[in-house]
Amino acid sequence: MRRVRGLGGGKRRLADLPEGTPAVVGLLAMRGPLRKRLLALGVRPGAVVKVIRRAPMGDPMEIAVGDTLIAIRHAEAEEVLLENPPGDD
Amino acid sequence: MVGNPNTGKTTLINALAGSNLKVGNWPGTTVDRLAARLRLAGKEIELVDLPGTYGLIPTTPEEGLVARELLNNRPQTIINVVDAGNLERNLHLTLNLSEMGMPMLVALNLMDEAEAKGYSLDPQALERELGVPVAPLVASRDKGVTALLERLQQGVVPRPQVKYPPPIEKAVGELAQQIDHPSRRWLALALLSGEEVPLQLPEQVLQSAARLSKSLQDSGIDAYLEIENARFARAHELARAVITGSEKRLTLTDRIDKWVLHPLLGGPLFLLGMLLAFRFTFSFSSPWVDFIGALQEVLAGWVHAAHLPALLSSFLADGLIGGVGTVISFAPVLFFLYLALAFLETSGFLARAAFIADKFMLLAGLPGRAFIPLILGFGCNVPAVYSTRILNGRLDRLRVAMAVPFMTCSARLVVFTLFAAVFFPKQATWVVFGLYLLGMLIGLLTAWALGRAAGGGSSSGLMELPPYRMPTLRVVVKLAWARTRSFLQGAGGPILLAVLFVWMLLNLPPGASLQNSYYARAAELMQPLFATLGIHDWRLLGALIPGFVAKEVVVGTLAVSYLGSAPGAALGFVAGLAQIASALWQALLGSLDAIPALLGLPHMASAPAAGGDLRSALAGSLTQAGALSYLAFLLLYTPCVATLAAIKNEFGKFWAAFAMIYELLVAFGVAWGVYRLALLFGGG
Repeated sequence: MRRVRGLGGGKRRLADLPEGTPAVVGLLAMRGPLRKRLLALGVRPGAVVKVIRRAPMGDPMEIAVGDTLIAIRHAEAEEVLLENPPGDD
Repeated sequence: MVGNPNTGKTTLINALAGSNLKVGNWPGTTVDRLAARLRLAGKEIELVDLPGTYGLIPTTPEEGLVARELLNNRPQTIINVVDAGNLERNLHLTLNLSEMGMPMLVALNLMDEAEAKGYSLDPQALERELGVPVAPLVASRDKGVTALLERLQQGVVPRPQVKYPPPIEKAVGELAQQIDHPSRRWLALALLSGEEVPLQLPEQVLQSAARLSKSLQDSGIDAYLEIENARFARAHELARAVITGSEKRLTLTDRIDKWVLHPLLGGPLFLLGMLLAFRFTFSFSSPWVDFIGALQEVLAGWVHAAHLPALLSSFLADGLIGGVGTVISFAPVLFFLYLALAFLETSGFLARAAFIADKFMLLAGLPGRAFIPLILGFGCNVPAVYSTRILNGRLDRLRVAMAVPFMTCSARLVVFTLFAAVFFPKQATWVVFGLYLLGMLIGLLTAWALGRAAGGGSSSGLMELPPYRMPTLRVVVKLAWARTRSFLQGAGGPILLAVLFVWMLLNLPPGASLQNSYYARAAELMQPLFATLGIHDWRLLGALIPGFVAKEVVVGTLAVSYLGSAPGAALGFVAGLAQIASALWQALLGSLDAIPALLGLPHMASAPAAGGDLRSALAGSLTQAGALSYLAFLLLYTPCVATLAAIKNEFGKFWAAFAMIYELLVAFGVAWGVYRLALLFGGG
């Protein structure tokens, strides 16, 4: 099985990802229904995620995972940790 | 039929069923149920469309329905509707279904969208991998629908798809052995993930499940995550096998979103869209509401022409015909509202509106979609309560439904403009505007406080932004009509009863004048309490009672009690028919008129129907401070009976009673505060 990087030490958060830059989801740092809904929509460790845009008032943001477009609040995206880009360990 | 949301399931069942489509509700819920009976090769089959869901483990009540139906009312075949343009996520559900041990086939829908996205697909590859029939489709254009019908009875149980890590496979095998149900593999996996399943299982199975998950946990395995990961990995693999080529293309959705979600234009476009939806609902329905009013008048005229005893004739004309008319006059409003909502929802615009409004609604701890019921509340609270259905989760629905009655509906506006013109001729606009703001503030506070009381978990803003699509008109109309009918059945009785009750207060004991009726006595009973608000005149207090039936009736009742009543006019049969015909003509014209009016600027409510006599009669009855407190009370006190009936329909008796009592208390408290403040600033 492949090692999930960023576990525990995940510094980058989906909330801070600039628009248009792809990144890989590392860890969903929350429990309960939000985590289940994220997984159901395809936001899971290892998936490639991209921020499309932020709403006019800066929150929420629109992200793309695979072929799915998803609206997620800033506070919720703070709990989605990203893997570090390769070679940036 | 099972599938993700927005995979065109509704369009597909419409294409398969044609005119046999039946629309109703799932028993005990407000979730729409679409079904059809078909004759196929001499056999009678029933097609049922289950609510769209991302997984079989529910995160909302609608999703919970899917697993419950599949496990307890096993269908002969599952038609798994898959969005060809979003394979990987859709196949995740397919894999879940494959573990249910039921015959299935895959309807690979939206092939045209997949192509527009730049995908080339090989449906045969999916058929080989899954071992079940796969039918490529474009349901919206009837493409492939006949082929699907032909294969409807060829569904087979899929071959095993997902291989889990050995310790999990071992535990699943052990647990599945003890379960006496065809879906034992899926059930065992769900139990090991720590989920509850919507099926009665023997105690000993649950104990084994707890023991097995404990031992997995002890060996450092997160069963839930491992199971999900294995399914996702397989879905990924399947999608790779089916997609033979892909070149990234800009889709229609990308292009529309560039404008609709634009950082600067997004806000104004959102407001424009809301305005259009609001005006569609009320501009198209109002000619028909007027038509029903005209019908009512004619019928009452015929009753008066029959020369019955005065009390009986009044009972028939004002009580019965008036009551039934009140109920029916909501039907056009609701019908057009449901049309507008269905269009917003299935087209994909609703999700965008929620996205734009989310930040603002977050202030009250509500999701962005809550904006829609609150906006509609300014037109009429009844459809607004029903529109809470667009929210996810009962708590959010309830919180918004409790806030809705505080929104100034157009019926209250009529009363406000009259009082503001009489008591505050110079600042009338500001008084009315202030009342709007006050209502909104209290509504949002209510929703916020209810959220706090329920545990403080602020609602989630997480949702899919589905691709833009054209809704299927026939289904949308059928859904709107089914929901309107369910209102008439559920809310008709209580509204009629309330109208009859008020009629009795006004007209009994027999032969009594208004000053001696039960109505006046009830109003006198209220006097000591309302004296603390600066309201003393019994006629003003009495008018609050029929205001419970419909708020605009307050003006009419005031006119009767200050100026005396006008006897109902008798009407000949032929003259009545002529009036009905001309009213129908007016309604048709009005509907046509509504089309250009949609695009025009909104004009503020016209002057109230009351003449100058009532104005001067009212002027002496209240001080300015008293008038303010009366208006505040009128704004906030118990929702009208139709709104209460709507709340009862959607949330049950308890919440209807809660809304009534809570809002009475709030109204009294706020009116008192307003009165004291007004006195303080010298308004007395």
